[in-house]
Amino acid sequence: MSVLMDVRDLTVRFALPKPSFFAERPHLEAVRQVSFQLEAGKALGIVGESGSGKTTTAMAAIRLTKAAGGQVLFEGDDLLELDDEAMRQRRRDVQLIFQDPYSSLNPRARVVDIVREPMDLMEIGTPEERHAKVEELFALVGLRPDQLNLFPHQFSGGQRQRISIARALTTNPKLLVCDEPVSALDVAIQAQILNLLAELKEKLGLSYLFISHDLGVVRHVCDEVAVMYLGKIVESGPTSALFEAPQHPYTQALLSAAPSLARRKSKGYVRPLKVSGDPPSPINPPPGCAFAERCPRAQDVCRKTPPDLVPGAGTAVACHYPGPADTI
Amino acid sequence: MSALLEIEDLRVTFRTRYGEVTALDSVSMHVNEGETLGVVGESGCGKSITALSVMGLIPSPPGKIAGGSIRLNGEELTTASPARLRAMRGPDAAMIFQEPMTSLNPVFTVGDQIAEAIMLHQKVDKAQALKDAVALLDRVGIPSPETRAKDYPHQLSGGMRQRVMIAMAVSCRPKVLIADEPTTALDVTVQAQIFDLLNEIQRDFGVAIILITHDMGAISEMADRVAVMYAGRVIEDASADDVLDYPQHPYARGLIDCIPALGRDDHRLAEIPGVVPPLHLLGQGCAFADRCAFKQDRCTREKPLLGSHGHHPVACHGIEEARL
Repeated sequence: MSVLMDVRDLTVRFALPKPSFFAERPHLEAVRQVSFQLEAGKALGIVGESGSGKTTTAMAAIRLTKAAGGQVLFEGDDLLELDDEAMRQRRRDVQLIFQDPYSSLNPRARVVDIVREPMDLMEIGTPEERHAKVEELFALVGLRPDQLNLFPHQFSGGQRQRISIARALTTNPKLLVCDEPVSALDVAIQAQILNLLAELKEKLGLSYLFISHDLGVVRHVCDEVAVMYLGKIVESGPTSALFEAPQHPYTQALLSAAPSLARRKSKGYVRPLKVSGDPPSPINPPPGCAFAERCPRAQDVCRKTPPDLVPGAGTAVACHYPGPADTI
Repeated sequence: MSALLEIEDLRVTFRTRYGEVTALDSVSMHVNEGETLGVVGESGCGKSITALSVMGLIPSPPGKIAGGSIRLNGEELTTASPARLRAMRGPDAAMIFQEPMTSLNPVFTVGDQIAEAIMLHQKVDKAQALKDAVALLDRVGIPSPETRAKDYPHQLSGGMRQRVMIAMAVSCRPKVLIADEPTTALDVTVQAQIFDLLNEIQRDFGVAIILITHDMGAISEMADRVAVMYAGRVIEDASADDVLDYPQHPYARGLIDCIPALGRDDHRLAEIPGVVPPLHLLGQGCAFADRCAFKQDRCTREKPLLGSHGHHPVACHGIEEARL
């Protein structure tokens, strides 16, 4: 399999307000030296809690947020080095679906125009061809042709997400960045959209960069998963290995925190692994491992030296004391 | 043993521009002392309206309780005076909401806000109330509670704010605590902390909890019994084990099957086609009929009633006939 996107040491910094006029401007490192590879036709999931840098990583990788360093090789070209016009041409290969289908569609435009707009901007095909493409995509995502001239508010949340997907597909992209595409939807509707995304991946050979906080969803959709914590990847690997034999205590904590049908109150369940507290602030990250304060395995070295992401048998782990959950 | 809270044939209507809409239609459920009832369903199915009815917080107009009864400890709440309802909120029933930032007052410290609730219902002075507030903050697992009590809501994280809400809710030792999607705005590790805290509070205070959620996983971990709601009606009502292991109603089964669960590698998720119909367009028949794979003629003509057809109470013609 060929590598579609190869992200190396991606770093994103945001400027903070100056504490005083003469002081140097402090910065916050939202993404710290993140590297991952996405193979063509595969889905890579980025999981983590709010503020962990999932969205910022994806946005920096497709140059919608400015990266402070690193490389993003997309079919061999470094996206971060391209000039504006070359990048504009590249954008047809990379499209986005957002979390909230209510705010990501223009309420004053008819959906047929919303879906056609990327082709107008990219000057793809004749007007007739564009219209035919919109009709084709409508059928592909499960909308009816008689709905073409309606406005976004006349659709339900799930249908609006279908419209977003149709719009994203107009330029025949190779990569679809899905930023929490189902978290604003009801569970019954989530399943419809997840099945649609799985179908499209198969039919069109799409690759997904799939951002979600929901581990169940990620397990269902993704081939590979990267777990982020405070701007860094703490564990990554094939979905099956990561879910069945997680090595990092944070991954294990995430898995045991997710509500599960397998744990019953009637059976007197005990959550196998608990973490207390909240993630630390990225403004002043701890010198060692960011998870050390909440980690049941933390030793002195964890608070002093940040661990590197080291490839292992199943997954790559950034932890001084990796191992199965029951060794804690 | 009679139930602590009993809701019977509750009907709530709202005046809208489509005319009068029935938001709750003959809803019945009960909660026993010290147990957790999970109320589950999609957005708009009437979960929160049920909770607000119990608290006497239905905005009226446009809403009104058009029929049925709500009895807490034998006392009828639908006809109670506003003053009585105000006295009831706190010592009898308390509620925590989805978004703790919008339910806390941003211009008062959290200690003051908890103390206010205590002083409204107990004959104590401010100093004592503040001391109680600090003790409560400690109880719900907030580190250095004396300092935190002087913080304003924006200085706390989402999980801490929800802990403050829980401290406030249990400050008057309520018999029923209604938690309306208490963790939807929180991260998963913090959600786990809040769930564990609610279970602890229940053990220590013996409070009955009504947990409103759309997440069957949360039901599994938290609930003793479950009421599944759809379009303003209860369509299945049984123990959590019964509903999770033997869901009878096609909708309840769909809700469980469509979760991309951990530890299950289905290639394709079961999906419930279509969407919940708008309440003003509900017809004569079963509200779920258009999305149901087992629809019969009768389903479009006649509303199924919640009745015991074999395993446990369920409102479905298909199940009813299969048992005949």
